[in-house]
Parts: sequence; C-alpha cells; structure tokens
Amino acid sequence: MSNKQQHPNLLSQGVFIFVYLAVLTALEFFVAVTFNSVAILVAVAVVKGALVLWYYMHVNKLSEGDESSHESYAYKSGTNRLGLWLFLVSDSFVFGGLMVMRLSLLGMTRPDLSQTLGFFVTAVLLISSFFMNRGEVELHNGNRQGFLRNTMITFVLGLFFLLGVIIVEWHAVPAIAEPILHLFGEPEGKPLLTASSGPAGAAFFMMTGMHAFHVLTGLILLVIVWINGKKGLYDEKQYPVEAAAVYWHFIDLVWIFFYPALYLIGTAV
Amino acid sequence: MKNNTLGRAFLFLVIAGAIGYGLGLGIDFAIRGGLKFTASVPSAFALLFGFTAFFFGLYGYRGITRGLVFQVVGTIIGAALVTGIRALLKREIISPFLFTEPAWVFGALVGVVSFFFGVGVMTDWVKWARGIDTPDHHEDEPGWQKYFGVSLDHKVIGIQYTVTALFLLAVGGTFALIFRTELAASGLDFLTLDLDVFNQNGPQLYNTLMSLHGMIMIVSILLGISGIMNYVVPLLVGAHDMAFPRMNAFAFWVAVPASVLLLLALLLGGFDTGWTGYPPLSSRAPLGVQMFFLGVFTAGWSSILGALNVIATVVRMRAKGMTAMRMPILVWASVATSIIALTATQLIGLSFQLVMFQRLFGMGFFDPSKGGNPVLFQHLFWFYSHPAVYVFVLPGLGVISELLPVFVRKPLFGYRWVAMSSLGIALVGFVVWAHHMFTSGMNEYLRVPFMYSTMLVAVPTGVKFFSWVATMWGGKIETPTPMLFVLGSIVVFLLGGVTGPPNAMVALDLHLHDTYWVVGHFHDTIFGGFVFPFFAAIYYWFPKATGRKMNEFWGKVHFWLMTPSFFALTLGMMFIGLRGMRRRIVDYDPTLGFDGAHLFLTVCAFLIAISILIFFINFFRSIKHGEPATGNAWNSRSPEWQVPSPMPAHNYEVPFEVVGEPYDYGLPGSKFVEFAAKKAGTH
Ligand code: HEM
Ligand SMILES: [Cu+2]
Repeated sequence: MSNKQQHPNLLSQGVFIFVYLAVLTALEFFVAVTFNSVAILVAVAVVKGALVLWYYMHVNKLSEGDESSHESYAYKSGTNRLGLWLFLVSDSFVFGGLMVMRLSLLGMTRPDLSQTLGFFVTAVLLISSFFMNRGEVELHNGNRQGFLRNTMITFVLGLFFLLGVIIVEWHAVPAIAEPILHLFGEPEGKPLLTASSGPAGAAFFMMTGMHAFHVLTGLILLVIVWINGKKGLYDEKQYPVEAAAVYWHFIDLVWIFFYPALYLIGTAV
Repeated sequence: MKNNTLGRAFLFLVIAGAIGYGLGLGIDFAIRGGLKFTASVPSAFALLFGFTAFFFGLYGYRGITRGLVFQVVGTIIGAALVTGIRALLKREIISPFLFTEPAWVFGALVGVVSFFFGVGVMTDWVKWARGIDTPDHHEDEPGWQKYFGVSLDHKVIGIQYTVTALFLLAVGGTFALIFRTELAASGLDFLTLDLDVFNQNGPQLYNTLMSLHGMIMIVSILLGISGIMNYVVPLLVGAHDMAFPRMNAFAFWVAVPASVLLLLALLLGGFDTGWTGYPPLSSRAPLGVQMFFLGVFTAGWSSILGALNVIATVVRMRAKGMTAMRMPILVWASVATSIIALTATQLIGLSFQLVMFQRLFGMGFFDPSKGGNPVLFQHLFWFYSHPAVYVFVLPGLGVISELLPVFVRKPLFGYRWVAMSSLGIALVGFVVWAHHMFTSGMNEYLRVPFMYSTMLVAVPTGVKFFSWVATMWGGKIETPTPMLFVLGSIVVFLLGGVTGPPNAMVALDLHLHDTYWVVGHFHDTIFGGFVFPFFAAIYYWFPKATGRKMNEFWGKVHFWLMTPSFFALTLGMMFIGLRGMRRRIVDYDPTLGFDGAHLFLTVCAFLIAISILIFFINFFRSIKHGEPATGNAWNSRSPEWQVPSPMPAHNYEVPFEVVGEPYDYGLPGSKFVEFAAKKAGTH
C-alpha cells in the first residue's frame, strides 16, 4: 500500500487502455469486413492480448513481493498469485488445444455467423473488463462503494454476454433468438448452425461452450467477492479481489483470440 | 489398526456386496426379464456397495466413507435427472446398463463432484467463499485413522497417495495376470467367445482388461510420483508444508472417485480401445469407454493441481540459502515433471472430452463423415501422452541421483548438468509426440523432423547416465535394499533407453510399431524410470515415515526375484515382437511358434507378481514390526535425516539454513545444512 499517490493515475490508465482496446477492436472488425488480412488480424489480437496481460492482469506483479517474512500477508498473496498464474497457464493449454482443433478442422474458413452480432457480444465483454479494472482500483483506493458498484456492472455485463451466447448464438430460446438475429441482419430461414451439423458447428459450439463455462465460473467468483466485499472483508486483505479480477480478464483474453478465430478470419462456410 | 476392525470391514464388504448384488440382480431382472448372474448392473452395485461398506466398517460414516456414499447417491441422482428429462422428451430411458449413456455420463460427473463435498475437501473453501476464516492447520487424528479422512499435512497426503498407488498397482497387476494367462497358449483358452461377463464376451473382456491394465497402471504411476513428491519435496526444501495444503488434499481426493470410475468402466460393458482411446474405435466402443474417459479426465486434475502445488512450493518456500544450484536433484526433477504435468495434461483431457461430446452430441470432431479428422485426435492425445512418459520417469530418475551418492559415499558427478538435464528432457519432450504416429497417415513431411527431435532426447538422458556411472566410479558401494533398487533402475532404464532410438527411426518403426517389441521397450522404461525407483524410494524413506526399517532380507528377496524375472519378461517380449508378434491381441497363430515363449513370459509375470506380494507383506508388517530406525538411517546429508524419525507434524521444529553443496559426500568438513539451534551450540 505504499504507492497510494499513484491511484488516480491507475483509474485514468484503465480508461486509456480501454480506449486503445476499443479502437483496436473496431479496427479488427473493419479489417475483417474489408480486405480480411489474417496477418493483421493476428497482429491486432496479439497487441490486444499484450495490453490486457500487462495493464489489466498486471502480470508484472508476479515478480514483485515482500521477501522479508514468509508469514506476511503480502508474501502469502504472492504465493497465491503464482498459484493463480500457474493455473491460468494450464488452462490456456485447453484453449490452445481448441484453437488447434479449429485451425485443423476449418483452416481458412469460419462458421457462417453474423459478424455484427459477434462484434456486439465482444464489445460487451470488453466493457465488462473495463469495469472490472475500475472496481479493483477503487478498492485499492479504499473506496468500497465504488468497488461494489463497478463489480456489479461487470457482473451484469458478463451475464449479458453469457445469455447472449447461449440464448441467441446457440439458439437455445428460438423465440428470443429469432428477432435478435434478424435485427443483426441474419436472413430469414437461413439453416441453423448446430453442434452436429459439421466441423464448423462442432468447433463453434465447443469453443464457445468452453469459454462460456469459464464465464460462468467467473460470474460465480464475482458474486462471492461482491458479497464478501460488501461485508468489508477486503478493505485490508485485497488479494481475493485481485484474483477474481485477473480471472475475469483472463476470460476476456481468451475471447480476444477466439473472437477473430470464430467471427473474423477467412471466408464463411 | 486392530485386527477386529479389519475383520469387521471385510464382513461389511461381503454383506453389503451381497446386498448390492441382489439389488442389482433384481433391477437387471426387471430390465431384461431374465436372470443373468454375470450381468453389469449387479456387479456394479456389488462393487459400489461393498467398497463403501468396507470403509464404513473400518472408519465409520465420515471421511472416505461419506465421500463414497455421496458419490453413489450423486451418481444415481444425476442419472435419474437426465433419465427424467429424456422421459419428458420421449427418448429411450433404459438400457442393459440400467441408465442410458448420457444419464451415466452426467450421473458420473455429479457423483464425482458430490464425492468432494462428502469427503470434506471443500469445507474450508466453502467457508472462505462465505467469508468465514478457518485456522491454517487442522489437527489430525492420531494413528492410522488420519489416512482415511481429509488431512492437510503433506506427509499424510504423500502416504495416502503412495498407498493408493500401490492399491492400483495391485489391481492393474491382477488384470495383467489374467490376460497374460490367456496368452500362455494359442487358441482361446478361458476368455472364450461364449463367455458372457459384464456384457462382454471373452475376447472383449481381454481387450477391456488389457486397456484398463494400461490406464490403471498409468494412474498408479501418477499417484506414485505424487506420493514421492508430496512426502519428500517439502522436507528437502525445508518447508513446513506444501504451498497450498487444501489444494494438495483436493488433488489427492480427486483420484479416489477417478479410480472408482475406472473400475466401473470394466463393469459397464468395458471397451476395446487400449489406453489410447483412438477414435473411430472409441466413438463406437461400449459404454465403458465413457467411464474410462471420465476417470482419466478426473485423475488428470489430480495431476495438474498436484504439479501446480509442487512448483509453487519450490519457488516460494525454500529454506534460507537454498539457491537454485543448491537444490537437491529430486527437487529439480519434480519441478521438471510438474511443468509437463501442469500444462500437457490438459490436452489428454481435451482430446477425451472431444470424443465424449462426439458420442453424446454427434459433434463430428474426429468423424470424417462429418468433416472431422481422426488424426487430429492422435496429435492432441500424444501431445500429452508422450511428455507424460517423462512425467512418469523424471521423479524416478531424480530418486536415483538423490540416493546414489548416499550409498557410494561420493559427491554426485556433474551436479549442474544433471539438474539441467531434467529440464532439458522435459522441454525436448514437448516436441517429439508424433513419433507415435509414423504409421497413422499423418503428413509425411512431419516424419523426419520428429525422428530427429526424438533422437535429441537421448542427449540429456545420456547426461544422467554419465553422471551415475561417474558417481559410482571408485566409490565405496554399499548395497542395502534401496541401493539394490537404484542399481536395478539404472540397468533396466538403460535397456529401455537403448530400445527407444530404433523406434524413433522411421524406417525401422514402420516394422516395429504395434508389436511386442514396443511393449517390451516401454515396460523397460517404465520399470526402470518408475517402478524400481519407486520401490527404492519406499525402502529408503520408510523409516522417515514410520521410525522403522523394512525387513532387509525380504527386501533382497523381492529384488532378486523381481529383477531377473523382469529382464526375462521384457527381453522375451522384444524377442517375439521382432519376429512378428502383434500387440493388443487375444490370440495368435500357433504356426508362428510362439507358444513356448508365451508360456515362459506368463511364468515370468507370475514370478514378478509373487515378488511384489512379498513386498506388500513386508511393507505392512514392517509398519509395526520393523527394526526401529529413528536416527539417520542411511547416514545421509539431506536435511530430513538430521532430525529424528518419524517426522513431527509440522516438520522442522527449528528451521535450517543451507550452507554448502547437497552431495559432497566424503569431503571432510563439508556441510549441506545447519540448523539454527545447533549452530548456536557448536560455536
Ligand atoms: C507383472 C507385471 C506386468 C505384466 C506381466 C505386464 C504385461 C503387459 C502386456 C502383456 C501388455 C500388452 C497387452 C497387449 O498389447 O495385448 C501390457 C501393456 C501395457 N502395460 Fe503392462 N505389464 C506389467 C506391469 C506394468 C506396469 C507396472 C506398468 C506401468 C507402470 C505397465 C504399463 C503398461 C501399459 C501402459 C501398457 C499398454 C496398454 C495399452 O496398449 O493400452 N505394465 N502389459
Ligand atoms: Cu513417445
């Protein structure tokens, strides 16, 4: 807690990073619908990923820590932080494997889905990450109310994303899905993408399914830190909030790569 | 443990097993309208009921018993739920295995999760989530009882792992003896076509036993190395426990429901894919394959979380002065193993999961008629399963390097190189997986690069051998039982090592693939890299855990019976393999002239089994009756031997500081560690 002075900067830093990410996401979309250069799409995704890793997930915190006593809260938090990151490394192998599966089965083709809808859900997740970051910084600043408010917004947006994917993209509730898909320019009577309809469907459902499962667990974590935060449990010992935030950003990070893989690169089949 | 407790447990096992069997028989009768005594449902019920009642008799309704009850009830509730939904959708709801496949899969999943809550590994986490603090440590019950419930002590968990590993070794070994007996002569001898056990005919049962032998042994290895690492690593680095004690307990308890699922795979129709589970065979295999997939998937989490814990412990909890280049080799090896287990394991989980979904939802990942690609499965699968072989052997090789200097009273030769070679093997191991696929129809241009990368592994492995030989050179070699097993490991692993490169040569492998040559090869690597060192480690650290030594005489009998039989077994396997004996088949052509060889191999297998039986008896007897050994039993420099045995609950009462090199045996005046209190005394 020695760097209290910097906190206002952290809040505005969050805004800047969000603006960068938003611009890059728009750029990505533009590239995809105009000249569809895979190289540029990959490069943009990598830059976005790096921004999230560094500024939202603050991976650099891994190397800092209070070495004086193994029993201090700071030292134990450092150990927990390492544990969390190891878990995320492990988890990324699942997503990496799914990516390999997608590239192997679909190559330079992609599922035939509304790109604007994809852009929309991506934006929702991106904005949720912004609020998550704000929530974490507010808590760090000692503003419990700000933390609770921002975490709540993150949760609502995350839930919105999850329901959007399941209800609309998966067509789980056709009565809701139909009009929305129509709104996003999907023609009437277009054959549905289903899990068993072919490689595109299989890859799409598997990848979004695995991601959605992680969103669900992230939401549960958010509920937990919100409730405990309300009780004031994290005013001093803040590591659990950091963990929930890093996990939430990780979910966003995965989507930064899954989104172009499913909605942008190659030609629709 | 009182004898009448054990007697009661067995009595309960028999009674509950019989009740379960009767119940299952009734259900089966209702399904099929006829009595069949060897059907799946009665056997599955007998297993689950009997198992649970056994632990009830032993330990009462808590800990593992409660976990198993929760698992059984959870499975039934989950399966009933899916069955209910299917009934509403007017799909079929009943099968010869009672529930339909989706119902079983979902039920099994619910069962596993229920187990965690039942056994109590989630209790503290649930409290944390509700904002309630818990004490850092929980006091364990005294005596043997603590091993049957959740304990957070890494030493208890290490022993839980080890004993579970030994149990699975016995199960997998029994399977091997059964199918080895079938192979003793050509022609179908007792696993005949008209046999009908667990909904399988004889050859199908052979396939199931062979496949489960493979996977149960692999899970046994994973638990065995976790046992060694859990018990020893915190002691070697001077930590009071692992970095995350609750996750440590969780990682162990995951393995228990996983083992139950693997056993259920045998009873619920079995499967004929081998442990590799390749589609398209696995996408058409009986229900058992789903239980197999789920069991492996669950056990995988044990491996992943255990690895995470080891890395965090080594990075964050080392004693003062233990710089990277002063860490014991076993610690280096554990880190290298854990790096693989942490990351690659996800890929076997994923590949099996994809086949599960292919079966459940018709997603065509590996189904060419739906645009899928079966070779993709093999890539995902071997991306784990090749590195996995290093997960199996690296801790064992670490044990060799750790123990050798103790028994030759000389410094370990080339410490730095040996430390780095573990990491080298682990990293190179990530880029060799496709050497299992030379005949699989993968892209031709991949063959030669994978051939060379595979050969490259021989370099860091060779470093280890040089070090071992040079360490022994001119040493004062003593050969108590642990050292015998160390020497055995080296020789057996050498045999496994030199039979590997021929497989890596594409031109040769086209002929060797899927023959008994390969079976001989990998048994050599696994025995040399895991089984022998595992026994060495048990004989060596047994006094640390119990304060008693295992019996030397019977230890030597174990060694001298097992080693020659094992050599004969694998050399024989390779011999008939080179002459064209296919692997994974229940029968062979008598005109090949292998009958005599196979009979010989079966005899060898039984001799190995007898030697391991001797080990088991020695192990359990020595806990109570072994020769007391509370001091530095092997005259070692390692910190855990500088304090009395058995180890106190929170390890070192006074912390130690590392002041020298770990393996400077025989150098006068050199010291590895110094204890704070002792230091004050000697000044
Ligand atoms: C008494 C000791 C053992 C005997 C007699 C034995 C025998 C065999 C035989 C005959 C096979 C080949 C089956 C076939 O291809 O038809 C086999 C496969 C296998 N064994 Fe063993 N084995 C023993 C111990 C072990 C141990 C200790 C391990 C591991 C630590 C192990 C791991 C494996 C594996 C991974 C396979 C491959 C299974 C598959 O292809 O799916 N075995 N064993
Ligand atoms: Cu391999």
